[in-house]
Amino acid sequence: MAESNALTGAEIMLKIAGYDSKALEQLYDRYAPILYTLIKKIVTDKETAEEILSDVFVIIWRHIDLFDFKTNSVYTWLIILARNKAIDVLNRKGGKVTEEYTDEYEKEKIIPKLSPEIEATELNKVLEKKEKIEGALGSLTDAQRYVMELSYFGGMNEAEIAGKLKIPAMTVKSKLQVAIGNLMQKLSEGKK
Amino acid sequence: MENKKGIELIKLEVLGCINEKDRESLLKMKETDENFPWKALAEYQNLIALLPLTLTLIYPDSDLKDKTATKLYKIRDEIKAKLDAKKPKEVSVEPVLDETPVIKEMVLGEVEEGVQFKDQELHLDEKVSPLIKTPVQEKTVSDGPKFNIESRETVTTKSIPDRELIEKITRDYFKSYFEKELEALKQGMKKNRLLNLGLFVLTLILIVVLYFLRQTLNLF
Repeated sequence: MAESNALTGAEIMLKIAGYDSKALEQLYDRYAPILYTLIKKIVTDKETAEEILSDVFVIIWRHIDLFDFKTNSVYTWLIILARNKAIDVLNRKGGKVTEEYTDEYEKEKIIPKLSPEIEATELNKVLEKKEKIEGALGSLTDAQRYVMELSYFGGMNEAEIAGKLKIPAMTVKSKLQVAIGNLMQKLSEGKK
Repeated sequence: MENKKGIELIKLEVLGCINEKDRESLLKMKETDENFPWKALAEYQNLIALLPLTLTLIYPDSDLKDKTATKLYKIRDEIKAKLDAKKPKEVSVEPVLDETPVIKEMVLGEVEEGVQFKDQELHLDEKVSPLIKTPVQEKTVSDGPKFNIESRETVTTKSIPDRELIEKITRDYFKSYFEKELEALKQGMKKNRLLNLGLFVLTLILIVVLYFLRQTLNLF
């Protein structure tokens, strides 16, 4: 058991690619809490969140071939996958998305397309960044944090945020760009 | 200049807040621009994936594993077909790290065997995120979650691939079952051995004490 625990995310994914069910369980054990937390934040309803989480693992199992084994960025791939799925469910419930959910749709809109230059990080290393990211977020203005939250966790588009905050869509756009730019800068400063 | 525009669009894309027009122009850049800032895209994708860390961690109910297993079981035919289609080529998934059986075992094996899951291993501080105004409620997971097929449809009566596979699953099941039993037995034996040794040493001490007592009494 200890041996299998020591497997890296990439090794687990490789085993899943060989349809090793134990590896999928291991991935579940490792990632379910963080994915569930994110999903629950987005959809809020417990049952829906549970449904989405299990759907995410079904997607992984069915489409493991779409995972990029060259970059092996497991954490980011899973987080973006879970977010995409949760936002899609949210948008469908709200009537924002009416397009039929097909296999093609899933491949196109739900499964992440990461940059080929992405750097892989192990979950334990990512978790160590919790304080850093909190600190960096703390350095943003309330308005910047709020628009980021509305977009990332709320799944709102420019127009919706603009309508909600009664500001022009261009302002929303620039606020988001500045916010994420500052966040990146703060985190980079932390690295130095 | 183009690069800068690309980065600005990347920022919106990773946040999931990009309009159709911008999405299309970003896509075009990705496809045609040789100097597309892939590195920046990578950094922003990694950055945005850190945002969930600011949330208070919530554990899903333990029975969700079981539900997930049921869902996976339902797509067994699809996976089996995929696997069969892969077999003649057998290229991309060659370097699997061990010889763990493929989907056939997942399809019947995992669900039937009742694969045991470990307790969750993630532990984060319960600090409320600065990003989130209303903290998410913390939930605990009851221990001992398991995949258990017994409550589900009887797998053995449905779409059984072949005898060999069933025999293998049965073998594996008994093997894992007896391994556990054997392990428990070994633990028990170890304890007994220690107890016996302790008693033996105690007896020896008593004999020696009695011997000396007798010697001392004889002297008087």
